[in-house]
Amino acid sequence: MIEITIVNQSSELARVAGLLDRLAAERHLAPGMVADMQVALDEVLTNIMKYAYTDNAEHEIHIRFRVFDNVLEAVIEDDGAPFDPLAISAPDLSTPLHERRVGGVGIHFVMNLMDEVTYDRVGERNRFVLRKRFKT
Amino acid sequence: MELREEKVGEVSEEEVKGRIDSTTAPALGERLRANLEAPKVRVVLDLSRLEYISSAGFRILLLAAKRADETGSRLVLCGVAGKVKQLFDLGGFLDLFTIVGSREEGIAAAG
Repeated sequence: MIEITIVNQSSELARVAGLLDRLAAERHLAPGMVADMQVALDEVLTNIMKYAYTDNAEHEIHIRFRVFDNVLEAVIEDDGAPFDPLAISAPDLSTPLHERRVGGVGIHFVMNLMDEVTYDRVGERNRFVLRKRFKT
Repeated sequence: MELREEKVGEVSEEEVKGRIDSTTAPALGERLRANLEAPKVRVVLDLSRLEYISSAGFRILLLAAKRADETGSRLVLCGVAGKVKQLFDLGGFLDLFTIVGSREEGIAAAG
């Protein structure tokens, strides 16, 4: 297991991506599944940074990676307002270019790229678990 | 993410290598804004060496496509394949852009 603590600034996201790259290289994970996890992480962390906080203070976000039983897992914990991404409806993908907004697509990516996504409110914290299974 | 620009006649070619995520998307946005600043220009975006793109990247591409539409410019995407194509498809973006196979086709389509 490896973990990293970042603060809620977008400049921190590159550190998380770098850590996942390192884990992927050490464990020889397939590039496709790592890409899926990178995209999902980018979406979840961006969402937290944009929407979870009601003040302008600095907040810590913890990310923990594990590889076990053919699963790559990321656990993300933040102390923001309760936010269940699973409750957001899927975006309307049929709207034309000029009316199209990207909002909602990020969560749609997370739900479809991952094999398992769970959200829990644990005490005063949000906990997201993202799981991607290896193709064998 | 690395950007490499080349001019082929009247067409600007931009090759994007690596990743477009919320960290790198702003730089791509800057580049495309600069490219599409003048009206009636032609830009080919080669994504064949792109590893993946997150919604932050799609937001930038949509803005660029709208900008091109409004100013009579052409933005053509090429080399959309593999993981990147899967993400375009998943987001319902394939029909929102002019997408061709190769860079040569892109130049032909943009010109």
